[in-house]
Amino acid sequence: MTAPHHRQGSTRTDALDPANLDGHTIEELSAYLDAERTPTNFSIESSPGCQIALTALERLRELTAHVLEAQAAAEPAPPDSWVRGIMDRIAVEARAGRDIPITHPAPTAHLTMTEGSVRGMVRAAGDSIPEVVVGRCQIDGDVTTPGEAITVTVDVSVAWGESIPLAAERAREAIHGQLAKHTELNIDAIHITIQDVRFSRTDAATATTQP
Amino acid sequence: MFVPSALPEAKGVAVKEEGPALPPTAGPRPKDSLAEAHDRVVAGRAADGDPHAFEVLVRRYSTLMRVYARSILGTNDEADDVVQEAFVTAWQQLDSLEDPGVVKSWLMRIVSRRSIDRLRARRVHEDIIDYDPPAVEAASPAQVVQARSLADAVGRALASLPAGQRRCWLLKEVAEYSYRQIAADLEIPESTVRGLISRARVNMAREMQAWR
Repeated sequence: MTAPHHRQGSTRTDALDPANLDGHTIEELSAYLDAERTPTNFSIESSPGCQIALTALERLRELTAHVLEAQAAAEPAPPDSWVRGIMDRIAVEARAGRDIPITHPAPTAHLTMTEGSVRGMVRAAGDSIPEVVVGRCQIDGDVTTPGEAITVTVDVSVAWGESIPLAAERAREAIHGQLAKHTELNIDAIHITIQDVRFSRTDAATATTQP
Repeated sequence: MFVPSALPEAKGVAVKEEGPALPPTAGPRPKDSLAEAHDRVVAGRAADGDPHAFEVLVRRYSTLMRVYARSILGTNDEADDVVQEAFVTAWQQLDSLEDPGVVKSWLMRIVSRRSIDRLRARRVHEDIIDYDPPAVEAASPAQVVQARSLADAVGRALASLPAGQRRCWLLKEVAEYSYRQIAADLEIPESTVRGLISRARVNMAREMQAWR
């Protein structure tokens, strides 16, 4: 059985010609796929024509996802006003997390900062390293009890071409410096997880200024 | 207007009695390179409550979500609203997403759910499966033949499906719903869903046969 295959990446639609299906029909093959090919139909499984047709039918799935991407790529980017419309609806809500107490000499003073604000500080500190972009920041340990040891785990993206260990170390130092300066957290460890090495045009300019 | 100074975390420092000045935590202007970072980094950051990161997701996926919603709904009118609602829901629930790396398929499922809600609201007037508005872009086998590219041909084949088949097909193959989930959400029997998806596949295959 030869599969005519004139077009690179085609669905081999000629493979769906009923004449090649050894007595089976496209409907039957579609139902067989929906049943996840169980129970095994030996007649279908042993027919080269049916195998080619099944592959073509299965490819319709990835083609569907691909076609939506292609249609999206052909459309204009959403206007800024539309994006702002969404951002206006969401920006009012804070993700504050736990309250972190801050000591104060006056016994009547009750000061707290939120976990969310500490995360914001971690992001700002990590982002101050040109090749680093901070992702998720997790604070583990009982931050509500002063002096409890806590660990901070930070996901980062590093620009392609930069030394990853160096970038991680710089981010760790910057984050540690900011947390030590602005919080009373007893930081046991700061873990940096490299989640992504990104190819970047905007970092290219800053990369050349690195020592 | 989206005003960066209105960041939620700017309000994060709660001073309940007069105290020492606390550091500003709103952070610097977001880096442009955030837009180039992987979904896992961007969505993880958005889940932590950073609206800049969330905006990157909005810009990255809203067009795909709109194309998808339009295809499910069969009309253009409600697609923008559905995508907006989906993003509002996404912001509220993002911290429940265990693996931020799968944010794209997660967003597609949210926009599916929102689209189905709209279909249900319409159902007072018309049946969810029989409802078959004139195709946005009328496609006939002849047009599939004329398709310029494989993507174009598949697009035309998809557009030529009856609405019920197209909906079930997209929910199954793009949003990765199970037959049972589709049946429950569309409030139709699972056997009907199986039949619609099977017919959709056969119809797509037939249409694609015209394109060589």
